[in-house]
Amino acid sequence: MNNNVIQGTNLAKIYNKGGGGEVGAVQNVSVEIRRGEYAAIMGASGSGKSTLMNILGCLDKPTSGSLKLDGIEVSTLTDEELARVRNKKIGFVFQSFNLLARTNALENVELPLIYSDKTDISRLARHALESVGLADRVHHNPSELSGGQQQRVAIARALVTDPEIIFADEPTGNLDSKSSLEIMALFQQLNEKGRTIVLVTHEPDIAQHARRIIQIADGRIVSDEVNPNPRVAEQEMSALLPKEVAHENR
Amino acid sequence: MKTGRVLKVAFKGLGKNKLRTFLMMIGIVIGITALTLIVSAGLGAQNRVMERVKKFGLESMMVFAGAGREVGQPTSGQPATTLSLEDATMLKQEIKTVADVAPFGRKGQSEVKFQEKSTTTTVFGVTPSWAPVWDWDAAEGDFITDEDMSNLARICVIGPTVQKELFGTANPIGEQLRIGSVQFEIRGVMQAKGTSPAGGDMDDRIYIPLTTFMRRVANVDYISAIKIRLNTSKDMAKTAADINALLRERHKLAVGTPDDFTITTPTEVTKMAEKVAGTFNIFLVLVAVISLIAGGVVVANIMLISVNERRKEIGLRKAVGARRKDIIRQFLYEATAVTLTGGVIGIVLGAIGAKILEAFTQMPMAVSWESVALGVVFSTLVGILAGLQPAKKAAALQPIEALR
Ligand SMILES: Nc1ncnc2c1ncn2[C@@H]1O[C@H](COP(=O)(O)OP(=O)(O)OP(=O)(O)O)[C@@H](O)[C@H]1O
Ligand SMILES: [Mg+2]
Repeated sequence: MNNNVIQGTNLAKIYNKGGGGEVGAVQNVSVEIRRGEYAAIMGASGSGKSTLMNILGCLDKPTSGSLKLDGIEVSTLTDEELARVRNKKIGFVFQSFNLLARTNALENVELPLIYSDKTDISRLARHALESVGLADRVHHNPSELSGGQQQRVAIARALVTDPEIIFADEPTGNLDSKSSLEIMALFQQLNEKGRTIVLVTHEPDIAQHARRIIQIADGRIVSDEVNPNPRVAEQEMSALLPKEVAHENR
Repeated sequence: MKTGRVLKVAFKGLGKNKLRTFLMMIGIVIGITALTLIVSAGLGAQNRVMERVKKFGLESMMVFAGAGREVGQPTSGQPATTLSLEDATMLKQEIKTVADVAPFGRKGQSEVKFQEKSTTTTVFGVTPSWAPVWDWDAAEGDFITDEDMSNLARICVIGPTVQKELFGTANPIGEQLRIGSVQFEIRGVMQAKGTSPAGGDMDDRIYIPLTTFMRRVANVDYISAIKIRLNTSKDMAKTAADINALLRERHKLAVGTPDDFTITTPTEVTKMAEKVAGTFNIFLVLVAVISLIAGGVVVANIMLISVNERRKEIGLRKAVGARRKDIIRQFLYEATAVTLTGGVIGIVLGAIGAKILEAFTQMPMAVSWESVALGVVFSTLVGILAGLQPAKKAAALQPIEALR
């Protein structure tokens, strides 16, 4: 079987500007993501990270280029078929969590499953919540959860369909440093168990947790390197602990 | 997505915004309540007419003296003088489908006296066949006989209303009363019959032999009408035509001249009553339907606004795999759930309202499965129509909306 989960070739996304000009949000990008990889896409604001991720995640269609997901060419699929692909093969984590308000954690995690042909969705959702350490928050609404916990619910939602790949766009953008590290630790755990993850961030400290870092600027890849010494979030957390305690006691 | 799941999603969506749901529902509740009330009133009126027609008899016909007489309408102008007792006899003899005839004369506003008490009532001159033809006999005492007819007997049978007015609870049989200046002995009291198809009190009457009536009370040689009992309720039109032909011949009416009598069949009575109820209904149903349309427009508008508010939710659902049709179904079900719930509430309120109206007014109300079915169908229809546009708009949103 194909070892590349994602294979994008000459991908471009051109937007028309109001004045008549064009913006190349993504320009001629070729990239492949292998099974089990943990890659970070890094770049300044407006460099095209989100646009690229949305294309790779089948949320958006490229203006041109080819994209293969799990060996299947997706650029020619219908909206209906793309919805199937997103449901089965892709999990998303967003900066603003995007949980349904007034809906408890369990039902939020069940959301992708109700659009699948899976049965026993409640058990699967519970299991996913357990795997992100929220077994005791199953019936809490988002408003009753901390930011970090909300993001973990969102990660459980991304995991619940057992997707080929998880895309996370600035997943720590709305979180404090401790919660950010918790999320990073969770991603590292998932990756160690074999989950393929693509992380989008503009923060170098966050990107350093990935094992591969792709830099983009003005819609183009400017570097694509293996990260020889990824940060280990678990270790950073234990280093952070005494400081936090001291901080709180002051 | 499975229907059960979509329904769950739709109902949850509604439960999450109770004020919005309430606002959407209110118009539908009012519309369906009105519709249920109106349909119940219409059916109630129709049932009442049908009851009366049954009282009149389904295998019966009526021949009135005079042209253009309508049921329930008083005869206009001069009384027609051409319908005779002989006509009635000939109808029975000549027309095969005629089983029996009950010719009668009537005189309204007649003064009746018993000792010091008096009342105004309608005097009917009838033959003994009145009892079998109308299926209406004396409850106490006896009815008029053939002997009474040939003797021009001065006996009478009084209706329960007359009995109550002149005698209270005392036994009137054997007593003497005066109709105008003629004295009559009371032979019997009629069975109570209640309200006529025209709405009058059928118990406020006095019956005397038709011969006595013609000679001694009204002093005429014609009769007012003939009630006809048929062998069958089939082929009414044919029988009516036969009667018409026979009477025209007997009255020597030339071709082209109008009838000097009017034939009424139960079908005609029913049709006319339905026509009256129908115009009344169509107008009111229209009012209810307009209020439902207004309710539907409100639902559609609030749903459209809610689609805008819920862009993120819709985008997210699409991002995690909802297809176009899943979103369409969700919004259609939401709209339909609102209107159907409103409809059921409206049906219940309408039924309660109908019962209250019936208790406090004389209006007959019939809450039937028809009005329930109509309420369910209409509210569902309004939901689907109102939900269609918002659903399409929602389904057309792109998944990347979830990220903005
Ligand atoms: N719908 C759109 N229409 C027009 N231009 C767009 C649209 N979406 C993005 N762009 C443009 O494309 C470029 C890349 O945007 P993108 O959101 O991918 O950047 P980003 O790297 O994710 O930035 P940030 O770190 O701020 O999220 C920007 O210049 C942006 O203005
Ligand atoms: Mg971005």
